[in-house]
Amino acid sequence: MIAEGRLAREFAAHGRVDDCPVIDTHGHFGPYQAIHFPRSAPEQVIDTMRRCGVRWLVMAGHQALTDTQRGNAEIAAAVARYPDHFRGWWVLNPNYPERMECELDGFETQEGFLGFKLHPNGHETPLTDDAYVPVWEYAHARGLPVLTHTWQGEGMSSYREVRTVVEKYPDIGLLMGHAGYGDWEESARVARDHEHVYLELTAAYSVRGALEIMVEHAGSRKILFGTDHPWFDPHYGIGCILSAYMTDEDRRNILYRNAQRLLELPLD
Amino acid sequence: MELFDCNCWYGVPRRPPLAGAETAEVLVEEMARAGIDTALVRNAAIFEQSPVTGNRLTSDDCAKYEALEPSWGILPPQTDELGDLDEFIAAMRRENVRSLWAYPEKHRYLLSATTMGGLFEEMVCRGVPLFLRRNEMPGKFDTYELAERVLLDFPGLRLIIVAHGSWGEDRLFRPLMERFPNFAVDTSRYELDGGIEEICNTCGPTRLLFGTNFPETPMGGPLLTLLQANISDDDRALIAGGNLRGMLEEVRL
Repeated sequence: MIAEGRLAREFAAHGRVDDCPVIDTHGHFGPYQAIHFPRSAPEQVIDTMRRCGVRWLVMAGHQALTDTQRGNAEIAAAVARYPDHFRGWWVLNPNYPERMECELDGFETQEGFLGFKLHPNGHETPLTDDAYVPVWEYAHARGLPVLTHTWQGEGMSSYREVRTVVEKYPDIGLLMGHAGYGDWEESARVARDHEHVYLELTAAYSVRGALEIMVEHAGSRKILFGTDHPWFDPHYGIGCILSAYMTDEDRRNILYRNAQRLLELPLD
Repeated sequence: MELFDCNCWYGVPRRPPLAGAETAEVLVEEMARAGIDTALVRNAAIFEQSPVTGNRLTSDDCAKYEALEPSWGILPPQTDELGDLDEFIAAMRRENVRSLWAYPEKHRYLLSATTMGGLFEEMVCRGVPLFLRRNEMPGKFDTYELAERVLLDFPGLRLIIVAHGSWGEDRLFRPLMERFPNFAVDTSRYELDGGIEEICNTCGPTRLLFGTNFPETPMGGPLLTLLQANISDDDRALIAGGNLRGMLEEVRL
């Protein structure tokens, strides 16, 4: 069922595989303008995680994409309440440069946040804009990961902009959210050529053939699982990964091993 | 539980998807790998070239594989490209075609009572379902507006919108479900956490048909989502294939 291999059999039968936990590196939280979420309350999210075998969900608040102060505080509260399930991405909005320094200081005082989340398209500010320089400097100095939305097309958040950033800041663990959607091979090559660049799979998994290109050109050790939860059911993404032509070892790399190594999350 | 995919295709489109399925044989092999029993299929020539060519190719290929059930495209009866109404229905009967697809944007016609009234009346009378792809119309929400207009004119028509996009579109399709008892969507891109469960609880399981959107989308995503949805096994079986099987068995050609 679904595909050959033990992982496919067990996910199909049980919805989860005990020795193959999942780390979701790209989640969200709270209501959003464009969509109805049936299951977005923290308890519902945790129930989904249990059913899908998701051990950790690293998330950024929808509210934080517009109002960073309130939104990041909301995530801080959720992480504090459920420290065994959630970790946070600290969202920064380049359209409020006067807040940047204060909010970077705020990051230091909060527990449970792993790094920063940027959304160049949502904030209509190219990833190469000077407004992000304080973020890059801060993350580079501390070796912190940054999850950024990436998408095909020139001049905003494609593999080209990612390459420009990481050539200047090579020590940043840069997660290409949506794996540079559309520019599959070029994005995979950026991940291959830069030690700390990773392809994050939200939405990308649903394009048949994209995963195989990523594995071929970047290797399964450079790919991370993510879902935009509560947008997408983790089972949908997991099912797409099970369908892709790769080994169960590749699938394990993608579903948890790489994120565990990069984000230092315990799996006990 | 029968897994009956209502939304997949094969063939050679002008611009191939990242990983295509040029022949029916490839599709059947992928279905066997995924554990999908049956599929309602169409050759890409139906939407990329013309139903005149594509309908024939689809029927010829489906005749070779028990797992494939042919589905045809429609054109305005007034231009007589697929024969007049009686001839078209007779051809459907002869080839055992029990469902139809409309591509009004690609094939440049109005999916309206004026254009399709005679055919839609026959489809209502005979219980033949009509499928529409979510991205067929160019505007953001045009396909839903079109579906609403068609259903207002033909509330008895069984209309299914497929591949409705990864952004949950419940705000768009649930009002149609509430108003029109014969309206449904497929699950190929229904990725929303809890979406299937909520539809079962609010609108009923008959409003969802299992689909994969293959070859554009991997079969495993919609498949695992349905297999593990937090719904009853009876509801799961209806969505997996029971609804479509029942719909097709009620068709009177």
